[in-house]
Amino acid sequence: MSARRTELSRRGFLAGSLLFVAGAATACISDPIGGGAKGAGTTLNVWYHAYGEAGTQQAVVRYAESFTKAHPDIAVKVTWVPGDYAGKLNASLLTDGAPDVFEVGDFSEGLARRGQIAPLDDVYGPAKASFNKTALGYVTVDGKPYGVKMIDDVIMLHYRKSVLDKAGIAPPADFAALRAAAKALTTKKAKGLFVSNDGVGEAAPAMVLSHGGELVSGGEVGYGSPKAVEAITALKGLHDDRSLLLGFTTDWWDPSAFAQGVVPMQWCGLWAMPAIKTALGDDFGVLPWPASAAGGTPYVRVGGWVSCVNAKGRKVEAAKSFVRWLWVEQTDLQKDFASAYGLHVPPRTDVAAATGKLAEGTAKEAVALAARYGRSNPSTWDASVSGPLVTAAAKAVRGQGDPARLLADAARQAQTAVDEQLS
Amino acid sequence: MTTASDTTARAARAGSPAAVPRGPAPARKRRTDRRAWGAFLLLTAPVLIGLGVFKYVAIGWSLLLSFSEAEGTIALGDWVGLDNYRRLFADPAFGGSLVQILLFTLAVVPVTFASSLGLALLVHRVRRGRAVVRTAFLIPTAVSYVVASLLWKMSLFNGLPAGIANTVGGWFGMEAVPWLQTTEPPLFWIALITLRLWLQVGFYMVLFLAGLQAVPKELYEAAALDGATGWRLLRRITLPMLRNTSVAVLMLQFIAAFQAFDEFYNLFYGGISGTSSAPVQTPLLHLYNTAMGAQNYGLGSAGAFVLTALIVLVTLAQGRITGFGRGEE
Repeated sequence: MSARRTELSRRGFLAGSLLFVAGAATACISDPIGGGAKGAGTTLNVWYHAYGEAGTQQAVVRYAESFTKAHPDIAVKVTWVPGDYAGKLNASLLTDGAPDVFEVGDFSEGLARRGQIAPLDDVYGPAKASFNKTALGYVTVDGKPYGVKMIDDVIMLHYRKSVLDKAGIAPPADFAALRAAAKALTTKKAKGLFVSNDGVGEAAPAMVLSHGGELVSGGEVGYGSPKAVEAITALKGLHDDRSLLLGFTTDWWDPSAFAQGVVPMQWCGLWAMPAIKTALGDDFGVLPWPASAAGGTPYVRVGGWVSCVNAKGRKVEAAKSFVRWLWVEQTDLQKDFASAYGLHVPPRTDVAAATGKLAEGTAKEAVALAARYGRSNPSTWDASVSGPLVTAAAKAVRGQGDPARLLADAARQAQTAVDEQLS
Repeated sequence: MTTASDTTARAARAGSPAAVPRGPAPARKRRTDRRAWGAFLLLTAPVLIGLGVFKYVAIGWSLLLSFSEAEGTIALGDWVGLDNYRRLFADPAFGGSLVQILLFTLAVVPVTFASSLGLALLVHRVRRGRAVVRTAFLIPTAVSYVVASLLWKMSLFNGLPAGIANTVGGWFGMEAVPWLQTTEPPLFWIALITLRLWLQVGFYMVLFLAGLQAVPKELYEAAALDGATGWRLLRRITLPMLRNTSVAVLMLQFIAAFQAFDEFYNLFYGGISGTSSAPVQTPLLHLYNTAMGAQNYGLGSAGAFVLTALIVLVTLAQGRITGFGRGEE
């Protein structure tokens, strides 16, 4: 009896395994997403990085649904990507599972030159004239636009009016004043300035540009120049003073350190202004990163996100129509996206002008600063070009080597990467 | 009696249907052989296919990639021979990362080894509630490196005066410092080493405990009769009997240390600039940035093979020195 049972169960196991394998194979062959539900012929896969402001994820899903209502044959699947967005995107672009439409934070010419993203001149249409020049120039490679800027982010210095007033310090107008202010505001319990947790990542490019140096211009890496060396040496001064907040629980893009009163000055983006306003009311102002006394210009970074179409995907036309519909035509949705969650500047000047929240108070000042001093990162500014600068600057501010040599080596290394991108 | 032999016969039949050949019957034997092979293939195929597709094909592809110029693509075809390897060895950043991982290994392996052995000896002596103590030390093993890194970065070793490490330091009159960003003295190593220690010590402690429990009691009794106590028992009996366990633990720790990535990445990740401002780069971190950041998959693959070769070499050398795999004398 027992023997028969054993034999049966062995055979049964084999049969069971076979059934399982067959079932699994069937399951793998059939598409779990359902290939575009309810009669839609095409399903677009659209990627966003995880925006920090509450409601953004729901908003982009809502936009996708409205698009499908207007184009019943195209369904849209929104993928919200937390964590290392660039890394995951790069890995995914090599596969068949690559998104059809995706946003990029640092637009890179390499993407266009490798044929990874499609030229979008037909997407803009007559609305092209209403996009601001920086936003258009940023995505233009060899005269053709390869993306549509979704939002402009203005990144600048924030300061607490009351704290500076109390210490008798005027808003710093040049770098020496900023260094002095940061030092004066540093106490035993608190630091004066927060630029990023490592004190380098955001500050190094800001210092180079505000000291009259260049990052990359005309295909040449510029941060090995004497001006850049001077800038990074000045940054070392900030570190030597021990007036920088390092190793906070969240990084520079989050306003917590500033809003909770941990630091009186922080480098942060316009997106955080609603949160800062809630916490501090009107007790804060904005400034550009101040220039060096000798020949530099103040600097405000204009970042933001660009919507691109995967040229290697199978649904280029549908993807283009999605980008056109949302980021060119739907001015109401653009306004909603830019101002209802965090605060951003719509790249279409007419939409920006109609965005009420940008027309008053500190936000208005920020927009004016961006118009006057705003600069975007070079379109070759990917990890292989920005990384060497940050590594060299990090070593320089720690006193691990001569800044001039470190920066020259870094610039040489980055030049190889730029040449590869442009070839 | 009959029942017993009956059961035995049945059991034999059930246990090995392919065996028990009755007289010379080669044709039948071949058939059963084929059946056994069929069953073997059927049962192992899922694992073998899975391993083949997801491991060996990927490894082979990566090897081929390391000989080709593959930027922004993983397509093969643009062969460049050993260029990637040459470029890698000329890159001071990769060389530096190898030196740093060696330093890290030399620090973290002895510390973890000594702590887990010490803990195991202590826990082994606990009479009551050993399971509770053992579990308490084992639990951190279940925590992921990412979670632990965030814990270390945000609450234990943050730069605020209110951070836990700074508060404790404050009791002894230490000034608040940003632990992860301080390179002189290199305080960031404290965070790195304690993190790996906390996560790993329980696991290796359990391995040592298993080894300790396998030591025959008679040895201790005999030694006690001869008058040996305490330190001598440990040196002459316990440690020699733990040799195989120790060698295995050492080898596992070496491999794990060389592959260190998670805590370095998560403690020093700084958003857009990635980990480029980190005070220390491990080879895997460097390769991750090369492949995933700069999208140079050829160079990244080459580095992966160099690192693998290094791990294999160290493991072989260690096996040679400690005699791993040789039987007990």
